[in-house]
Amino acid sequence: MKYLIRFITQNPAGGTEHHDKVVDTAAVTIGRATDQILHLRDKRARLQHAEIANKGDGFHISTSALAGVTVNGKSQRDALLSVGDTIEVGANVLRIIEPPPEVDFAFSFELSTEATSEDLAQDWSTAGARVTELSKRKLSWYVVLAVLVLTLLVPAAGLLHPGIASLLRSSILPDDGLWLAGPVHSKHASTSTECENCHTNLFRRVTDEACLECHTATRHVTAPAETVLGERRCASCHLEHNEPPSLVKRHQGLCAGCHADMPDDSPFEDSSDFLDAHPRFKVSLLQPSVVEGEETEWNLQHLILSESRNMDRSNLKFDHAVHLDEEGIVTPDGRRVVECLECHVPEPGGARMKPVAMDENCIACHALTFDADDPDREVPHGDPEGVVQVLIEYYSARLLGDDPDAGSQRIRRPGRALTKEDRDKAAAEARVRALKIAEDLFERRACVNCHDVSETGDEQMPWRVEPVRLTESFFPHANFSHAAHDTEVTSCDGCHSASTSESAHDVLIPGIETCRDCHGSGVTRRNNSNQTASACVMCHSFHFENKGQYP
Amino acid sequence: MHESILAFNKRRYLWVSLLISALAIIAYWFNDPQEPANGGTALGYTLGTIGALMILWFTYFGVRKRRYSSTLGTVQGWLSAHVYLGIALIIIVLLHSGFQFGFNVHTLALVLMVLVVASGLYGVVIYIRNPERISENRDGANRSELFDQLDDIDRRSRRVAETLPEEFQELVSTGISRTLLGGTVWARLRGKDQSQVVLKSSNGSEVVANAGQEAALDWLAEQQSRSSDPEAAATIGELSALVRNKRKLLRKLTEDMRLQATIEVWLYAHVPLTAGLLVALSVHIITVFMYW
Repeated sequence: MKYLIRFITQNPAGGTEHHDKVVDTAAVTIGRATDQILHLRDKRARLQHAEIANKGDGFHISTSALAGVTVNGKSQRDALLSVGDTIEVGANVLRIIEPPPEVDFAFSFELSTEATSEDLAQDWSTAGARVTELSKRKLSWYVVLAVLVLTLLVPAAGLLHPGIASLLRSSILPDDGLWLAGPVHSKHASTSTECENCHTNLFRRVTDEACLECHTATRHVTAPAETVLGERRCASCHLEHNEPPSLVKRHQGLCAGCHADMPDDSPFEDSSDFLDAHPRFKVSLLQPSVVEGEETEWNLQHLILSESRNMDRSNLKFDHAVHLDEEGIVTPDGRRVVECLECHVPEPGGARMKPVAMDENCIACHALTFDADDPDREVPHGDPEGVVQVLIEYYSARLLGDDPDAGSQRIRRPGRALTKEDRDKAAAEARVRALKIAEDLFERRACVNCHDVSETGDEQMPWRVEPVRLTESFFPHANFSHAAHDTEVTSCDGCHSASTSESAHDVLIPGIETCRDCHGSGVTRRNNSNQTASACVMCHSFHFENKGQYP
Repeated sequence: MHESILAFNKRRYLWVSLLISALAIIAYWFNDPQEPANGGTALGYTLGTIGALMILWFTYFGVRKRRYSSTLGTVQGWLSAHVYLGIALIIIVLLHSGFQFGFNVHTLALVLMVLVVASGLYGVVIYIRNPERISENRDGANRSELFDQLDDIDRRSRRVAETLPEEFQELVSTGISRTLLGGTVWARLRGKDQSQVVLKSSNGSEVVANAGQEAALDWLAEQQSRSSDPEAAATIGELSALVRNKRKLLRKLTEDMRLQATIEVWLYAHVPLTAGLLVALSVHIITVFMYW
């Protein structure tokens, strides 16, 4: 296809000039882009605005521009062109002219000098401008000023005078509470809003004097503070503003610093972490010293628990398994299951258990009666000689006295006074009978059930009940509290396994493995999900270096 | 070929950032201070110092990007590091805090820092996504060209309306003068068209909202259906076509302004919040040692 484009320009004289250009192409592209055949210098035109091409039925102009092209004054997207038609694209005007021979289509192109000065009410020059006239710099200064005034300048005014400080603290104005690095511990609540009580000097660490203003520190300091504390400050170990709130450094490293690697001559094994670097548990057990086959002095010995499981030498016999039978046992109230706490009663405060006592915990079932005819009479507990004495007196009285209940046992005949002969006879008979009953009690029916009873060979007192050697505290150096362990997941038997113990020799103290079910390392991340972080001071007490509380 | 700031230098600063974060996390994990983790332990001071220096360096980016003659790295590289290390900063500062928060200036500094980083990340997303959307929406034209096209349609509308009764000219004239583009930041971000038009009826003139040129088009459609003169009806139809084109163009312009606004507006949060952060950070450091 050959197209002729006639460029018409106005000359300075006011007339018009034109020059022709013939292009051989399928379609004449019209647009603002430089690759267009008809290049428009008009911002209203698109890069590829329209094109003129033969569509079979003649030459068309077509466009995809929203504004379309105006053909003979009408805005159109596609129009069949004929000679004489006028096309407007922005300010440019194309006129279809009669094509000369050898040219298929011709049009003239008049570059308009018309400015886009037609009066339009809108001025868009500001519409595309910056999103806001507000300056970032100015906005920044506002924020700077607000933060500075609210968090520093106003609270700092309180430093000038205590009156201003208390005024700020009692008003909604910002005060130095905004500078709190963490919560004040509840123990310090009474002074909590007054920072200056502890922070006596600005830009200086809290001094010991500030602590000793209220505290006496007798637990730590028996000598002048400086000789004991040395380089340390109170706050070296007692930190405020922690989360979670805690006033004591509990870190196991404080102990492990020395205990992880003890000297060879130390009585202590190395210890640095309860989870896997703790010595085997040792229990304190009363043990006799054996001299020439004789058990003499009884002393507390620290024995490895796992090797001393049957070394309780209390001289008692007791079968926990029988007493804790799930079927129940016969009691004065009938057959029932006995609870641990019926015999093991916590001390006030609940930390430890009171020692089990016959008079309080056993007597209800284990009555010390001795005569079926007299079921209310009991022998005393804890005094073997007294038992024999009571029995002799009892039977003497029965044989001699006028107790109507004594019945046929009486040897006195009515209306006759007792002779010395009668008395001696009665005394001898009472003694025989008492010793018979005593033998029954000591060797078969009562004492021997719980106690080790041996024969003395002495006619006056033929039996010896071995003294009870109850260990009061198995772990005297650990701060254990039963009350603190009274939880939903714990049970007496869970730790002590008493229900399967058949011998009083069993040391029913849980081993370290049992503790580790719930207690782990002092370093939380080393523990499993069931274990609570357990640093040394959870069970053991603080002591200064080289001033250990242990011998 | 254009390389995004995120992909800069084979994501060098992503790796640097991951490395720094990993080191900080490992140090925190294995650190075993003799007190609950907080900013006052040895590691706490270390992480705090690193974090503070990073914040100062990030702020210096505002200066560096204007130093056109500087050869200390490229601005693109600086921005890449600015973005990636900015994310690592959050991790470092959280570890510095030991995850202790409260109603105090220290947490204020942390919150401001998080807001600065968050606004920055929003900016990254916008910078990566929106330029392309803007080009697509403008379809090759620039904004002033779009406005010129708008002028062109307006001009032709006036011309078409000249052959119609006065109320049509009134419609076109007020429709043009009351076309409202831009406006406040919110109006732009919401892409709201607050244009109006004056409609003449038997009871007088009435100013009505003309969002999307709806009111004008409805009025024209009504007039066209009432018109008994086929030639006038055809002219009204032509006018309607022009207004419909104007509507499309207005949508384009509104969208253009909305996209442009999102590109600009995040910096109005990023920069002032940074200024606030610098002050809060200073107050944090001062007061921590004031009440040591």
